[in-house]
Amino acid sequence: MDEAQALELAARILAEARAAGAESAEASVSIAARMHVEALAETIARLENSRSCSMLLRVFKNGRKATLATSDASLEGVRDAVRRAVAHADLVAHDGCAGLPEKVATELPSLHLHDDAVSARLETEKTQEPLELERLVRREDARVVNSAGSHYSDTNAVSALANSNGFSAAYPWTRIMRSSAPVALDGSIKRVGHYGTAGRHLDDLESLHAVAAKATRRAVDLFGARKPSTMRVPVIFERDVAASVLEDLFAAASGSNVATGNSWLAGRIGQRVGSELVTIVDDGRLPGRLGSAPFDGEGVATRRTIVFEDGVLQTYLYDSYYARKLKAASTGNSTGTGIGPTNFYLEPGAQTLDELIARTQRGVLVTDTIGFATEHASGTYSRGARGFFIEGGEPAYPIDEFTIAARYPEMLAGVDAVADDLRFDGAIVSPSFRIAEMTVSGN
Amino acid sequence: MLDPAFLARLINRALARGGDFADVFCERRSTISYRLQDGQIHEASVGMTLGAGIRVVVGESAGYASSDDLSEAALLRAAESASLVARAGRHGELAGAELAPQAVGSLYKGEHEEADPARYVSLLERADVAARGYDPSVVAVNGTISDELQEVWIANSDGHLVHDRRPLVTLGVQVVASDKRERGSGYAGDGGRTSLHYFDDHTPESLATDAARIAAVNLHASAAPAGEMEMIVGSGGGGVLLHEAVGHGLESDFNRRGTSLYSGRVGERVASRLVTIYDDGNLQEERGSVNVDDEGVAGQHNVLVHEGVLQGYMQDRLNARLMGTTSTGSGRRQSFRFAPQPRMCNTYMPSGETSVEEIIASTRRGLYAKSFAGGQVEISKGDFVFMVGEGYLVEDGKLTAPVRNATIVGNGPDAMMKVVAVGNDSRLARRHYTCGKAGQYVPVGVGMPTVKISSITVGGTQHG
Repeated sequence: MDEAQALELAARILAEARAAGAESAEASVSIAARMHVEALAETIARLENSRSCSMLLRVFKNGRKATLATSDASLEGVRDAVRRAVAHADLVAHDGCAGLPEKVATELPSLHLHDDAVSARLETEKTQEPLELERLVRREDARVVNSAGSHYSDTNAVSALANSNGFSAAYPWTRIMRSSAPVALDGSIKRVGHYGTAGRHLDDLESLHAVAAKATRRAVDLFGARKPSTMRVPVIFERDVAASVLEDLFAAASGSNVATGNSWLAGRIGQRVGSELVTIVDDGRLPGRLGSAPFDGEGVATRRTIVFEDGVLQTYLYDSYYARKLKAASTGNSTGTGIGPTNFYLEPGAQTLDELIARTQRGVLVTDTIGFATEHASGTYSRGARGFFIEGGEPAYPIDEFTIAARYPEMLAGVDAVADDLRFDGAIVSPSFRIAEMTVSGN
Repeated sequence: MLDPAFLARLINRALARGGDFADVFCERRSTISYRLQDGQIHEASVGMTLGAGIRVVVGESAGYASSDDLSEAALLRAAESASLVARAGRHGELAGAELAPQAVGSLYKGEHEEADPARYVSLLERADVAARGYDPSVVAVNGTISDELQEVWIANSDGHLVHDRRPLVTLGVQVVASDKRERGSGYAGDGGRTSLHYFDDHTPESLATDAARIAAVNLHASAAPAGEMEMIVGSGGGGVLLHEAVGHGLESDFNRRGTSLYSGRVGERVASRLVTIYDDGNLQEERGSVNVDDEGVAGQHNVLVHEGVLQGYMQDRLNARLMGTTSTGSGRRQSFRFAPQPRMCNTYMPSGETSVEEIIASTRRGLYAKSFAGGQVEISKGDFVFMVGEGYLVEDGKLTAPVRNATIVGNGPDAMMKVVAVGNDSRLARRHYTCGKAGQYVPVGVGMPTVKISSITVGGTQHG
């Protein structure tokens, strides 16, 4: 991938925007090559290759803002689309908060976001991986009879950003993923387990053997699962589902949701919202992590922001628009089109997940959830779930087809144990944690 | 957009290493959207998607390559890359000497030209005024309008060439109500494969009023109950239940691979006798409708379940070929960047015979879910959830207190076997649902009469 090519394209878009009447503008360009392989049993089911060039432009004209997203990099294509975007800005209301950021990144640290080993890989190495996963999950356990697919994908890209105040920078990055989803037969019930690993460097990924073993365990450990009774008990969220709870917290901490009435965290800065174990950080500068970048979607330097410290809400996360609107400073969380996480995570504790389970007399361990709607205005959480019933500090039997529910303020205040098993396989991650009491709804 | 002779050359290049089938999907999609917040037009957005995807199918394998560079060199490179899946196959080629253009239907009512931008602004401002005027508790109104035209050109190795122009308009209003202590939110949206004139009859005022009404109801709602109880699924949006509990499990990719709980069960009873389910790509102006799907096959009226008995699966070309049948017009994709998958269009249940009043009166203790925020399913075991947007308790045959948003969990065939009454009020939901599958999002429709399920697990917090 060529950084110069991306920067040149960004400069061309800016020049078109100025020619079309924009007072100030910002253009970002991502050029990416992606390969994705899916294997089923002994067959390559899908072999996909794509090359994409995505361009994003924000133009400002007299305090009015318009955006353009296009994949047409041709000379006329860019010119025509930019003119249309600038023309549409005329119908937008004047907004004193709209505009380029006052302060952009001046140093660009190397955050080790690119791995040369990814582009150097041979295609045959890549296609063999999911085939090997398919073999491994079947070897792992004789009850694995089928698979919903094993996958390998990698992306090799450059991201560039330029604005009319003279900011112009680019950086290369890679992302690799491998996963498997074996299906095991539990009588007449098909149980699927899913496990994956992702990172920026090939060496960051868990091995094929580890992925196959964990995916298979997730399928077979649920054998004989039953529906639990309705009860109020402690609930342990295993790492990956714990991360989905943090996704909701990120949404509630996002300045755009606070400003539009869609956050239960509105008006609570400085207040104790969570237990003292709740320290949540957004850190864009962790070397080699999936959420890291030297600058955000507006060119603002990324940084480490403590969102909750010992349970006290410290700040929301902002781009420059919502920072102005809510009288704060940008935290470097612009995606160009909104507010996004860098590496948003809960600080891990000192005990292992097994120790945490052993210290739970009676409760529920949740290993998977389904559903996604959280009502962020009021902070109402409810999900379908599966996992294990815990008795005497041990997983006693598997359970499924139940829900877990609570209001978010009670959930955060109820975090009474955090495990040490944090892994950075996405932008929003979490170690396992326990909530003192939630409603489990079943029979 | 691409010359038919060049498309033919691309197909032959894609099949040069062998293959059973090849197709080219070329797309130009233009979108205008406006957002309103704080009583003002906040932002205008222009979107342009342009590119092509080339696929080669060899037995159970598919090679796919996409490019947003439409130059001959880039597309020939993509064809070469897609062909890599066929390593030792025999040489394939286009059937016939050249591509034969096919006619398409006319389900859409688009103007096929850009509207005056002032109309977007006016629709959003009308929604804002109506929502704020509905109730003094309304503290925030967020509106979005989007107007899209997707043009597709699909050519394949059977010699077919299809061109379609697909308009899609959407208007959504989100309202937050607050009394300082609590907050509640409500959402209403509408649209379809049509033009902005759609909102002449389906006014922004009616949408905004509905969103504000739901926000005010949720503001004062009590905690939802927890545990198993009777459930009444409201008409229209209740179709989310069909989409999750049955629809996804009947997509042919899962069934060919044997990973769905419905695999190999055609002809078997999978639901109560009261249950009939259609998936229809052929409804005028509906969001999930297709003149042709993304493989160039005309949209169809497909019977999925008839009086409780499973009739068949939704097929795309690849899976139909491998299962020895034909496509049901269900091959869809998010954009040129993705290979098609078997997907739903508009999934609905026709009317039964019971009146809504009777259904409510016959319910002793349960939940009436009037509107839905979405759902999800796990295909293999068939456990599904759907999320209630507006719900009420039913006690001794009467609707009583509104309850907060809750997730409902069930198992597909189990829940459908427990359908004990089907209302006479079937209708399609007036909301813009989008379905996600393996990272691809496509617009769909759902529909439903009022339906009663004798027992299901409600995921609230109020126990006992």
